[in-house]
Amino acid sequence: MSAGTDTITQAAPTGVEPPAGGRESRSAAVLALARFEARELLLQIPVLVFLALYVGYAGWRLFIGGDGEDDFPILQNADRATQPTPMLLAVAVFVCVNRAVLRSRRQSTDQHFDILPVEHWRRTVAHALSVLPLVAITAIVVGFQYTWAALKPGAVGHGSLAELLVGPLLVLLAGVLGVLLARVIPVGFVAPPFVIGAFVLSTLVSALTQGKHWVRWLGPVVTEEGADPFPSELLGRPAAWHALYLAGLVVLLLCVAVLVSGGRTRLVKSVTALALAATAVGVAGQAPDEPASLIAARTKASVSPEKEQTCVRHGRSTYCAFPEWTGRTADWAEAVDRIQSRAGGSAGGERLTVRQRIDARGGLEGDAAIPASTTPGHITAGTRWGGNRLPEFAVGVASVLVTGTEEEAGRMCDARAVTVMWLALSTQPDPMRSLRDVRLDDSIKGQAIALAPTAPVSMSAQQTTVVRELLQKPHYSVAAKVKAHWTELTSPKTSTARVAELLGVPVSGKGTAADSGSGSCEDQ
Amino acid sequence: MIPTVSASGLSLRFGGTLALDDVSLRLGEGVTGLLGPNGAGKTTLLRVLATAVPADRGSFTVLGHDPGTTAGRLDVRRALGYLPQTPGFHQDFSAFEFVDYVAILKELTDRTARHREVRRVLEAVGLSDVRGKRIKRLSGGMRQRVALAAALVGDPGFLVLDEPTVGLDPEQRMRFRELIAQAGEGRTVLLSTHQTEDVAMLCHRVIVMDAGRIRFEGTPAELTERAAGRVWSSTERDPSARAGWRTGTGAFRNVGDPPEGADLLEPTLEDGYLLTLDARTAEVAA
Repeated sequence: MSAGTDTITQAAPTGVEPPAGGRESRSAAVLALARFEARELLLQIPVLVFLALYVGYAGWRLFIGGDGEDDFPILQNADRATQPTPMLLAVAVFVCVNRAVLRSRRQSTDQHFDILPVEHWRRTVAHALSVLPLVAITAIVVGFQYTWAALKPGAVGHGSLAELLVGPLLVLLAGVLGVLLARVIPVGFVAPPFVIGAFVLSTLVSALTQGKHWVRWLGPVVTEEGADPFPSELLGRPAAWHALYLAGLVVLLLCVAVLVSGGRTRLVKSVTALALAATAVGVAGQAPDEPASLIAARTKASVSPEKEQTCVRHGRSTYCAFPEWTGRTADWAEAVDRIQSRAGGSAGGERLTVRQRIDARGGLEGDAAIPASTTPGHITAGTRWGGNRLPEFAVGVASVLVTGTEEEAGRMCDARAVTVMWLALSTQPDPMRSLRDVRLDDSIKGQAIALAPTAPVSMSAQQTTVVRELLQKPHYSVAAKVKAHWTELTSPKTSTARVAELLGVPVSGKGTAADSGSGSCEDQ
Repeated sequence: MIPTVSASGLSLRFGGTLALDDVSLRLGEGVTGLLGPNGAGKTTLLRVLATAVPADRGSFTVLGHDPGTTAGRLDVRRALGYLPQTPGFHQDFSAFEFVDYVAILKELTDRTARHREVRRVLEAVGLSDVRGKRIKRLSGGMRQRVALAAALVGDPGFLVLDEPTVGLDPEQRMRFRELIAQAGEGRTVLLSTHQTEDVAMLCHRVIVMDAGRIRFEGTPAELTERAAGRVWSSTERDPSARAGWRTGTGAFRNVGDPPEGADLLEPTLEDGYLLTLDARTAEVAA
């Protein structure tokens, strides 16, 4: 192009150091803009509110609101438990980033900014990078949650880094999706309907495909929570593939946003191709259904767990657990010893076998009950521990001591329930609270079912009254009577009134068939 | 004059309208006024020089940078300060934040130096006291000064101001003229305006545009000189005048070809401007 002769080619005034103009200064400008936008994003009310809720909820769960089970975390569950909670924060990030990208258009500065040195597509990159502090906060919260769990003395199992990455990646994905949506549909009110639409669509797809494995894993968070946690090797979650899929998708969506914004450089095109490949590999890796070998391993662990377990002796009894839980056998032994010490007859010295059992045949989301053991002296322990699981286990132990087998305990419908419940609950730190917790209806009056790892115990209203009275007495005074009258107390023919009499509890009112010693639950 | 901005044969067509028609110009240090009626092509010329839209034909350089290449266009943008005709603002930002944002987009990446520069330009436009105030709470004149600060940040060598005094009250306009005059010291300023007063008070050179073409290029005195001997006073509107209006004294001020023995008046820049446009009208009529 032509230029006049004697043209001045230097900018005259110098109030500030001029930009170097190289690649470095342009990258530095993108980072400076990202910092600016990050600060703005952190000051948006929805982001502030949901960030406070996220951090607050995580802190509350860790320090205040956790139940007893949180003291005995299972790390292969604790890792993916971090995934759903950042969801609301991610939605807020999506909406607010989308709004931030559209700010220039909404407030008519875009035409002006388009002639400034930092191009449109670099501003797109800066908006995506502005999410990183929130991603970092999410990563810190997730890391803290997991580390806190892992450092607990009662922790068992192994977590997965890939599972822990999902929460932060979810927030990053939401931010990048917000940027892309703004570049593709530059209309301010699209983001909230998009969120609703995405939710409806995912529900519809899930219903239409009947929760097919490969479809579920296309979503960012796949929680899969069932009744019993599995040993790590039985999880079969394609967590690493999924993390690769999410990471690839994040980069791919960002590249598309940059391309739409005019950044059609060779580098961007190359990264787009790589991200597409990574996403495809991730999808291919996570798509296949659970392999036959995994299903076989789950069946084996469910049907014949003894082949997978390690057994240790504590005192006169044997405790068998999956390898990750062997450290927990001491807790079981302590509970068994306490209960057995209050039992009478031969039960007080019986050799028991406590075996950890799961039913993994229904997959991670299976909620099948574990069938009661038919072997005399065999007690089932679950994979959970702490909280309500302690009195439940105690009920299981006491049931076997009183009735002989779990199967018989499941059929029990007589006054033996009183002895079972007293044995189980009198060993708990707060017996009355444990009584409430272990009963299905959370009450300490009336008839109810008391939970156990396999066979629940039926309690009539009268039996409940007797148990409640017994639990309010000093345990040593009751224990002596239990030992003294063990044979009669463990007979299915003994009525509730007789049990009450033997244990020194006044009983009033008319009992049910179960209270009369008929052994039938049908009249309850 | 040693030119900092040179344009040659710039043409741009929007549909059936020739917005720029073979425009050539040379700008040097100081404030150059760009006068013209609505639709004359002033804003289009400014947008072309600001690299907002490319010309169909012709070329130009800014401080030696050729915007015809990607690198050259970036260099032009780095040397440019632009105040659009209707500047947009991020209403929830403070004045400081908005100018800081623009400074980042101008690649001022060192935070300390950038903030120092933002404070400098805000002080230069007299907004130091309200720099923390949200833009939506500022008056129209203050907002216009924020836009000027945004144009000035980074000390650009070429400042393009598109009708910056529109909508300002007389006091604000005077204040703005001071700022533009200061901005013109040591840099090239191209000021598009409808206000001949702005040009008379600020500009050392003036360009008159109409229908996409440059009709005049020279000093304000030369434009005023065009009306010498062609402005006269009369008690009634002179039908031979090309323009005439009653003044505050009650007498008519006529512009055109005066009759014999007319009571000639001292011409103003506006008279020269009117006659320049009128000459074009006459050309078209012929």
